[in-house]
Amino acid sequence: MSIATAIPTAVAGHPPVDPSSLRDKVAIRNLEFYYGQSKALKGITLPLYENKVTAFIGPSGCGKSTLLRVLNRMYDLYPNQHAEGQVQFDGMNLVDPGVDLNLLRARIGMVFQKPTPFPMSIYENIAFGIRLYEKLSKRDLDQRVEQSLRRAALWDEVKDKLNANGLSLSGGQQQRLCIARTVAVRPEVILFDEPCSALDPISTAKIEELIDELKEDYTIVIVTHNMQQAARVSDYTAFMYLGELIEFGPTDKIFTSPTDRRTQDYITGRFG
Amino acid sequence: MDASIYNTRRRRNVIATAASYGATGIGLAGLAMILGVLFWEGFSGLSLSVFTEMTPPPGSAGGLLNAIVGSILMTVIAIVIGTPIGMLAGTYMAEYGRHEKISSVVRFINDILLSAPSIVVGLFIYEVMVVPMGHFSGIAGAVALSVIVIPVVVRTTEDMLMLVPNTLREAAASIGLPRSLMIRHIAYRAARSGIITGILLAVARISGETAPLLFTALNNQFYSHNLNAPMSSLPVVIFQFALSPYEDWQKLAWTGALIITISVLALSIIARALTGTRKAS
Repeated sequence: MSIATAIPTAVAGHPPVDPSSLRDKVAIRNLEFYYGQSKALKGITLPLYENKVTAFIGPSGCGKSTLLRVLNRMYDLYPNQHAEGQVQFDGMNLVDPGVDLNLLRARIGMVFQKPTPFPMSIYENIAFGIRLYEKLSKRDLDQRVEQSLRRAALWDEVKDKLNANGLSLSGGQQQRLCIARTVAVRPEVILFDEPCSALDPISTAKIEELIDELKEDYTIVIVTHNMQQAARVSDYTAFMYLGELIEFGPTDKIFTSPTDRRTQDYITGRFG
Repeated sequence: MDASIYNTRRRRNVIATAASYGATGIGLAGLAMILGVLFWEGFSGLSLSVFTEMTPPPGSAGGLLNAIVGSILMTVIAIVIGTPIGMLAGTYMAEYGRHEKISSVVRFINDILLSAPSIVVGLFIYEVMVVPMGHFSGIAGAVALSVIVIPVVVRTTEDMLMLVPNTLREAAASIGLPRSLMIRHIAYRAARSGIITGILLAVARISGETAPLLFTALNNQFYSHNLNAPMSSLPVVIFQFALSPYEDWQKLAWTGALIITISVLALSIIARALTGTRKAS
């Protein structure tokens, strides 16, 4: 699909710089989402560009986490939640009922707000996910675990205690372990749901640095309450309010010259 | 600031604290007295012959071997039957059927079963097993005990799985882990010590049960590990001997009670040590 149709009219007059280099990894069109009867997302249309970081910002309850959780069908774990519309990913509409959820989630990984290491050793936390989809020799597996931990900038801190329980690490280390676990499965897209909100500033800086490095290989989406963080890590920003997408565009444009009054009010701290 | 409000509150606090300590003291004193008498009476009768000889006729020497073996056999079989059924039901309720109506129905019925008088369980098994088989048997006793095990295990399995945070389930799903593997490798692991404690609780509960065995396994004066024949057990022997007028039988009843208590205590300590070290590693 063309980029022009994917970008809401609000920014159609200001196409991103050099649009020819951008490719839609995921294209959301007219997406609606329901919790039971109540509509939480209203007609969202939005592209997620390949190898870029897209940030979802907006006040609490605006639907940004809901939107993120549609992308890997996390809402399917709960009853009475459903989505309508289109989310194109690799030729399929991923909100279709027929989609294989486990395969989808292996391709679109997720890192959560709170670190969630599995109750097993550091090594197993990483190897567990790899073994689900690949049969590797012990040596290759060791290598992949090391590679993943290096990718998450955690290797040097844990290489001497790979058999220690994942829960024995500090909060920031646990979160990087979760990133390593996600990376190890080799997804194409990684979703971050407020990944730093439970972390101290130093761990936050490390994770942000990591996101910047990861975008070379992955398409990244991040939900954040922290506007400075969105400004620091993202290439594109989507501002959402009351279940609607208000404005989407290059991050520097959203933060310096937003088109919509509500975006301006939000980023200048007048509400939210 | 009105000092009288604060002072009233302080006085109330002193009274409430004192009442709490008092209640704790009464509870602990009761426990200490029971254990004290049990140890005093039980230890004096404890000897090697208790573990090597059969229950005697009144007036002659003997031990509790047949009762100990019978108790162990029936308890083990009851746990082997009851644990998988209980865990599967608890897992269904916590993982698959969490939002289904049937789960709340099962939970309600399970709670009734949990507090059902155990003599009713004995009568039930008497009707469905002993009467058709035509005689009392060890296996009927074991099944009766398993009926008591199931609700305990269902309850603790469900409760412990409910305590596993949803974020962990989502994390497992987020790497493409199917639900069945998530339950086996993540949820059970996170809930392990709780589920094991529940099973041990069930062991503790059935190792002292007398009523369900009276109508099912009955008793056997002789050594027998034939599950198709009446089988002796510690609680039934204690019941019978303690009510008898013979002093040597009463002595053996005390010893039997001590053996049950110590076994349950040892099991709990071992389990705690096992689950404790796992967690720390």
